[in-house]
Amino acid sequence: MSASPPSTRLLRTAALGGAALAVAGGAAFYWASQQRGAPVAADAVTVAVTAKACEPNALTVAAGKRTFEIVNKSDRPVEWEILDGVMVVEERENIAPGFRQTLTARLAPGTYAITCGLLSNPRGTLTVTPSEESRAAASRLDVQGLVGALSEYRVYLLRQGAAMVRASGDLSLAVAGGDLAAARAAYRTARDAYLRAAPVAARFSDLEAAIDPRAEYLALREKDPAFTGYPRLARGLFVEETLSGLAPVAERLAADLARLKERLRSVAVEPALLTESPAKLAARLAQGRAERAPGLAAADRADRVAALSGLAKAAELLLPVAARPAPKAAAELEDKLVAAFAAVDGGAAEPAFAALGDAFSKVDTAMNGGEK
Amino acid sequence: MKLRRLLISGAAALAIALPGLAAAKEEMLHLVAPIADYKLYVAENTEKLVADTEAFVAAVKTGNVEKARALFAPTRISYERIEPIAELFSDLDVSIDARADDFEKAEKDPAFSGFHRIEHALWDANSTKGMEPYADKLLADVKDLHKRIDGLVFPPKVVIGGAAVLMEEVAATKISGEEDRYSHTDLWDFRGNFDGSKKIFDLVEPLVSKQDPAFVKKVADNFARVDATLDKYKTAKGYEPYDKLTDSDRTVLAAAVNTLAEDLSTLRGKLGVD
Repeated sequence: MSASPPSTRLLRTAALGGAALAVAGGAAFYWASQQRGAPVAADAVTVAVTAKACEPNALTVAAGKRTFEIVNKSDRPVEWEILDGVMVVEERENIAPGFRQTLTARLAPGTYAITCGLLSNPRGTLTVTPSEESRAAASRLDVQGLVGALSEYRVYLLRQGAAMVRASGDLSLAVAGGDLAAARAAYRTARDAYLRAAPVAARFSDLEAAIDPRAEYLALREKDPAFTGYPRLARGLFVEETLSGLAPVAERLAADLARLKERLRSVAVEPALLTESPAKLAARLAQGRAERAPGLAAADRADRVAALSGLAKAAELLLPVAARPAPKAAAELEDKLVAAFAAVDGGAAEPAFAALGDAFSKVDTAMNGGEK
Repeated sequence: MKLRRLLISGAAALAIALPGLAAAKEEMLHLVAPIADYKLYVAENTEKLVADTEAFVAAVKTGNVEKARALFAPTRISYERIEPIAELFSDLDVSIDARADDFEKAEKDPAFSGFHRIEHALWDANSTKGMEPYADKLLADVKDLHKRIDGLVFPPKVVIGGAAVLMEEVAATKISGEEDRYSHTDLWDFRGNFDGSKKIFDLVEPLVSKQDPAFVKKVADNFARVDATLDKYKTAKGYEPYDKLTDSDRTVLAAAVNTLAEDLSTLRGKLGVD
């Protein structure tokens, strides 16, 4: 898993002259939006863009918040960008010929490219060396990175919600239409989406009891009227190999998943969703499940893979945020995740899930207490 | 829950390190839902961009100049809405949306590609001759963009800063009629940038309205002014050509856009995402 790119920053000082522009229009606005000879921070690094290149073409600055003054010495409007690979770290657009603008960027140590006018002009380099500032930042939590990760996890949950509802509709249609193969396929899709969201879905015990009840907890087991949802459907689709009696079950599941989708939308996404919730689910998966009919072996395997991919999503988002304040715990989580994927096919899935759950918990602890 | 405490203390440390970042704390977590919703908005637009580009490219490749001209602006509008995110990918931003000025030989430069390359052919040459490779590349790039955005964790400061970035984009390239210089469909792009900026503002507005209702009202008024002015140029099929824009309306737009760009540039500070 790669580390996250240095955070991107599009600081816009927007040095747009105020009142004068309110009466001027069009081109005047554009020209006036350019600064000529405005005061610049004393420690700003000046770089000129000529018709052919940047001058100087190689810059070195210490990590941290740095200001650049870009002077357009070419005869066309230019854009100046700091690039990390293909990603724009910071940019200043539309610098008119003869004008200068400033750009402030918070830079992490590393080597970056800078653009220098025409696309065919050679790019320059920007070397950012470690500094007191960057060393201090290295042990601090990247708050914005965490907010970004949590946002992405919310997107993931909402998408799983939409996918499970859509697929459960397909499942109902296939059951009603008597198409066993289509019903099996739709079951799989709906089940995968549900399991990917399981760390959070498991919080709603009322819905879980209807959507994913466990036969061993029911008085009459498979014969119990409360044996509904996915397990009942799986039994019909893969063990009894008949759609008989499944239509009301499929419809009920679709309705319950629609409610779950709304609950997922209303969940307040907080950091625990990336640590404690996955830890709990992994611990639960580690308990394994009671002996099931042989016809369900393939479905059970697919279930483990889907649940694991949901945990992997949480880990993938957590790791870049955890890497700075808790490097050892983050590395261990990554290892345990890889091991769990390897174990899904083998016979040792349960211990691997247990270790993965512990690793999620350790990241939580390490990020709070720090690593010694 | 422990990580939550750390988040709060982390935000507090940031607030001390950077003056003016007061009240970060819990507000940082309040940004999660708006940023997630913004990603879903961007995803809807990239999906539409891919579908629309497929139709546009098909028209170009079958030599249907009239149809391609009709599809050009409505296809681009999805791109213009999501520009703060799309332009993070410098390679694709160049191949999809670069202007002739960025190339040594301008319009004659073989590297000049993307929407504006095809725009030039459709309006200046009134032909799709030689456009096939550019059309194929455009579609491939747009699909690549969709995929990359899908995998991107949206940086909060890019999202929040995007509201102002889009208005600056309007100021620099739309009010001047620079961007769509061959087709004069700038008002479509203007509408796209406007929509994208307003979307971001609408998503975070509840977070700002508590601390600064006057700011929210001022921004909303200026958005309404731009909206109403743009609507005057609405036609059955979209927007009037840029040259129909009257001097007085251009002045109104420039003033409102200027103020919006300036005001929206304070959003990051207000929300503690410096």
